[in-house]
Amino acid sequence: MAHLQWIPCRFVALLGIALAFHAGLASGAAPVGICDDATFLRRISQDLVGRQPSPLEIDAFLADASPTKRAAAIHRLLADPEWASTWARYFRDVILYRRTDDRAAFMAKPLETFLADRLHADQPWSHIACQMITATGAASEHGETAIIMAQMGETSDIAAEVSRIFMGIQIQCAQCHDHFTDRWKRQQFHQFAAFFPRVEIDRSPGQGADGYTVVSRDHDPRRSKKKPDNPRRGDLEHTMPDLNDPSQPGTVMQPLFFLTGQSLPLGTSDMDRRQAIAKWITARDNPWFARAMINRLWAELVGDGFYRGVDDMGPDRTAQSPEILDELSQAFADSGHDVRATFRAIMASNEYQHASRSRVSHEREGFAANCPQRLRSDQLFTQILAAVGVDESQVGNSGPGKSEKKQQSKKSRDTHAGRRQLNVPRAMFTQVFGYDPSLPREEIVGSIPQALLLMNSQPLSIAIDGDRRFTALGQLLAANKSNRDVAEQLYLRTLARSPTADEMKTCLDHVRLSISREEGFEDVFWALLNSAEFVYRK
Amino acid sequence: MRSHFCTRRHLLRMLSAAGVSGALGWGNTVSLHAADLRKRGKACILLWMQGGPSQFETFSPLKEHANGGGTQAIATNVAGMQFAEYWPQAARVADRLAVIRSMTSKEGSHPRASYFMHTGYLPNPSARHPTLGSIVASQCASHLGGMTGDLPPVVRIGSRGRNDSGAGILGMQWDPFELRDAEHNPANTQPMVETDRHLRRLDLMERLDRGFAKELPQEVADHTALYKRATRMILSDGMRAFDLQDEPQSVRAEYGEGGFASGCLLARRLIESGVSFVEVVSNGWDTHQDNAAQVEKLAGGVDRPFATLVRDLERRGMLDDTLVIWIGEFGRTPQVNPRGGRDHFPRSFNAVLAGGGVKGGQVIGRTDTAGIEVTDRPVMVPDLFATFCKSLAIDPTVENMAPSGRPIKLVDSGKAVDELF
Repeated sequence: MAHLQWIPCRFVALLGIALAFHAGLASGAAPVGICDDATFLRRISQDLVGRQPSPLEIDAFLADASPTKRAAAIHRLLADPEWASTWARYFRDVILYRRTDDRAAFMAKPLETFLADRLHADQPWSHIACQMITATGAASEHGETAIIMAQMGETSDIAAEVSRIFMGIQIQCAQCHDHFTDRWKRQQFHQFAAFFPRVEIDRSPGQGADGYTVVSRDHDPRRSKKKPDNPRRGDLEHTMPDLNDPSQPGTVMQPLFFLTGQSLPLGTSDMDRRQAIAKWITARDNPWFARAMINRLWAELVGDGFYRGVDDMGPDRTAQSPEILDELSQAFADSGHDVRATFRAIMASNEYQHASRSRVSHEREGFAANCPQRLRSDQLFTQILAAVGVDESQVGNSGPGKSEKKQQSKKSRDTHAGRRQLNVPRAMFTQVFGYDPSLPREEIVGSIPQALLLMNSQPLSIAIDGDRRFTALGQLLAANKSNRDVAEQLYLRTLARSPTADEMKTCLDHVRLSISREEGFEDVFWALLNSAEFVYRK
Repeated sequence: MRSHFCTRRHLLRMLSAAGVSGALGWGNTVSLHAADLRKRGKACILLWMQGGPSQFETFSPLKEHANGGGTQAIATNVAGMQFAEYWPQAARVADRLAVIRSMTSKEGSHPRASYFMHTGYLPNPSARHPTLGSIVASQCASHLGGMTGDLPPVVRIGSRGRNDSGAGILGMQWDPFELRDAEHNPANTQPMVETDRHLRRLDLMERLDRGFAKELPQEVADHTALYKRATRMILSDGMRAFDLQDEPQSVRAEYGEGGFASGCLLARRLIESGVSFVEVVSNGWDTHQDNAAQVEKLAGGVDRPFATLVRDLERRGMLDDTLVIWIGEFGRTPQVNPRGGRDHFPRSFNAVLAGGGVKGGQVIGRTDTAGIEVTDRPVMVPDLFATFCKSLAIDPTVENMAPSGRPIKLVDSGKAVDELF
């Protein structure tokens, strides 16, 4: 497989030697050093496949004396199909947390399927972006329509999201006024929006989620229903509203790409417009397309981006350590936007492999340390299942109850279809633990319902029952006479490390003072699953 | 053998000793606090008619026009103020109700209009605007110097998992606490083990996090504080507010039967226990067919609890500081469609307010006789939000920062309907 052979030569050279030096020099802060093997394995497992390593994986990795074992472990996990699923879920959230219409919630599954499939097949990021920008077809079967669906076909909102997601440029700030801090003029936003006025969502009533189709509408604007709030909707060309008199028709805008000045004549068909802008956005020489992805992945993996906002960059903002960003972005573009290779490159860096240090207690210091992150909802869910030894397919699907089914009318079928999908345990968990991954991570805080769910949920309580033979704890207790061994195993299953001597003593003391061995270890298991350390990736 | 025996009081002492009580207040004292808070703080109950209630079959009957659809108007206890026939109980408290008959908007799709009527803003991918409940709770808390009481500050009852608006840019701590219905305890609020064991678990958790706390002191401290808050909540006396069995039978009977009635009663109990904002959802108002018959049925479940809630709050001296809002996404078409239904109509619709300093017994604005155009005193959605702010002593110009660094005012350029006060 050629793509796995790709080695970012310039990049590796830089990363291995020069970059650590650059970073240290630039910030004046001493790097904290490289993290230990157990931390490293837990970090790459959570980052790549969305869960902690298993006790077996930990043993094997710690026992491995090879000097290249870190690279080998990254290589192995990158080849796991769960890598594609994990990152499909991440980008699903990037897109759907910004939906302006809840009817698009059902896109979660089709979008996840589309992305996982493409990432697993090593499609270049540029191809994936093009498919999403030019998407048409039945929404429930074409996950690539998700950006359009999330904005329910609104011209300006689609333009804003395409720019934000694929270029990290928030040009929509210029929708109503010239951008306050950046160079973008109001006219440039509307010229960009002019690539999308012919995108339309057809809805066949009564078919629920299956009734939505993204289509090109190049003829007969009268066929399209004009909305009272947007009298210009349904026109074949995009118009920039007259701010002084919104009742006026406004100025018809010609499609023009603000970064390059490339343009199309008025009257160009929808597909020609979207194919052109997709090609221009994803072009190898558009540095912002590569930087947007690198900034995102770096921020997620190293814990801190080059730009403060993962999706708010652009030529008028200042990056920290821009030389790393440029090297990586160039390497990403040169590789043909190979996503998997980019993960390998970032994870090979010292910045990634540094020990971690709190983002709250320390100033941004040019990547001197890896910043711990609260796990994303999907990572936490997978990690809990792994800890209690339950396969996701075994988790009960608590679909709508009888009373809810009875109330189901034809008219509300789509909301119900959406809700059925939301009723699977992972999605219900996400309703409590999910957050918009594009938000600054220091703003993501825990909530009371989260604490309540982990403390008191009945399924979890059953899963850690020490008296039942089918639970992981029940089996551990039956197989191990030694309390010390059980405590060790519980630590490995949850925190993916051995307990310290103090922690071991605390656990054993607790068990000794409990009514029974089972109860004592249930408490230990509960405490580990509820601990802050379990919820963070460090 | 158990190493120690631990009561709830002991727990509270223990948590308190751990230094998290401070300004937050403790379970045993929460009822006292709540009485105290009510004197200083404002509260709000939103009665949300999911689907868009017909103005003509509720509080804006059209007597002398075919568009009235044959619905009769009835007199209220205020001379000249008439309601649709399905609202006899509300008619008896009309002197406490102010009806705005000139609401007008352009948003006719459910999710967008629901977002608009909950946040005062149209949805926009670059920022999630905070829902009214989160605005009210966070502002009440900032008046009082922080989050108060053990119960969640915002509670939403019966929204069936729809999540069209949350705390958004205000942060998750102000997200509505969701209840499926008022009859059951909220999810995951029963400890799975006895209280003393639960406490020992928490203590163990904290001790096992000590090593990690050396690496991330702030994050671990926040985590521990969150668990203590959650524990304090589920063990607090305030949780009794969720138990409607606690209420005298006579009061329950006065609120009437059904989920919405239970929701209204629970809303009053929660406000009484220090919660700042409760939303109670009534579902099914999207009456595209058989509108009149459907509204009659729906009103049957809302009329009595609504009227009782207003009266009950007044009796307890809470009405002056508690704003009660009755709204939905939009109104419905003046012309009855061939299926006997009315479709979405944002151009003119209605809203009802009570309490919170609003003078009852008055009607604001009017439409033409066909019920189509607002002809007097149009009230836009931001105006309605500015009105909420005025009632609740909230400064609508307070700004919060969107992720893009753009400041967003609580209310975007609306002007309060001053005649209401």
